[in-house]
Amino acid sequence: MMRNCTTVQRSLGAWLDAELGEAERQEIREHLEKCPSCLAEKRRLERLQSALGEALRARASGIAFEPFWREVQRRISEREIPWHARFWDWVRSILYPQRLAWVVPVAMVFLVGAFSLREFFPGWLSGSQRTARTVVDSIDGHGLNVALFRESESRTTVIWLFEDHEEEDEASGSSTQGNPF
Amino acid sequence: MRLLGALPKVTLFSFGLVLSSALLIAAEKGLPGSKPGVQLKIGTILASNQSQDFDPRLSKMKNQLKVFKYRSYRLINEEIQDVPWQANALFSIPGGRSLVVVPQEYRDRQVSLKVRLLERDKPLLDTSVRLRNRGNLLLGGPVHEGGVLILSIWAMAE
Repeated sequence: MMRNCTTVQRSLGAWLDAELGEAERQEIREHLEKCPSCLAEKRRLERLQSALGEALRARASGIAFEPFWREVQRRISEREIPWHARFWDWVRSILYPQRLAWVVPVAMVFLVGAFSLREFFPGWLSGSQRTARTVVDSIDGHGLNVALFRESESRTTVIWLFEDHEEEDEASGSSTQGNPF
Repeated sequence: MRLLGALPKVTLFSFGLVLSSALLIAAEKGLPGSKPGVQLKIGTILASNQSQDFDPRLSKMKNQLKVFKYRSYRLINEEIQDVPWQANALFSIPGGRSLVVVPQEYRDRQVSLKVRLLERDKPLLDTSVRLRNRGNLLLGGPVHEGGVLILSIWAMAE
């Protein structure tokens, strides 16, 4: 659709502000190339925009924005956040889906690590003392006397093998073997 | 590298952790009992009242030796052997004696052993014991050079 000068001049403001679609922009551009009066109107509008821009910039340079922003900042920092709001912020940050993705592997590493450590520190984690000491299932002294001694503090288990030397010990006044404890 | 870069960091980290877990589980499986053997260490200690000397090599066993009333302790021999399960391990003990140890099994973090003490061919003692892994048992009594022998039987499942 061919545009006449009235419609073109009515759209010039929007054209200068780049608010038109590509087809309309092209139409107006072609019209301006052929129409001196519309071109003059376009230049007038450009000068007006430029003058307005300069006037606004000159005005803005005289305004002190710094105190305004300082005041905004002060009010934000002085704003009292109640403890429950802070708590919920923290919970929301913890429950953020990407962070939850870490929980499963971390728990796996922790559990496997704990079970591995149990191998090196028997009784740890399970609290079991059953395997922390030596168990003697059977003893056969083949006619000799046998004593079994346990000491809990140092977790010492002793199997002591001895012959009956009471008479010899009494005679010699020493006892190297019969009663070592 | 471009592929790795495209993955979210959290995914890479999670993958790393899962891999670490798998390695730890593999290590756990590779821990005691899964390999075919046990390390045995037999320390022969001469305890007597003839002096006040305490062998510094026995410092780790000081608390255990406190249960005895002897004044002197000297390590006269120490032997280490890697022994397959159910195999006989023979250790020489001074005075013509010998110790035969047969590792039976590893269960509940305990190493089961059959132990036989012989004097020449005559058996002096037969016992079945379960030691905690890396734990020991003291076996004493045989007279030797004015004192008595105390054998420390230590076992570690590999």
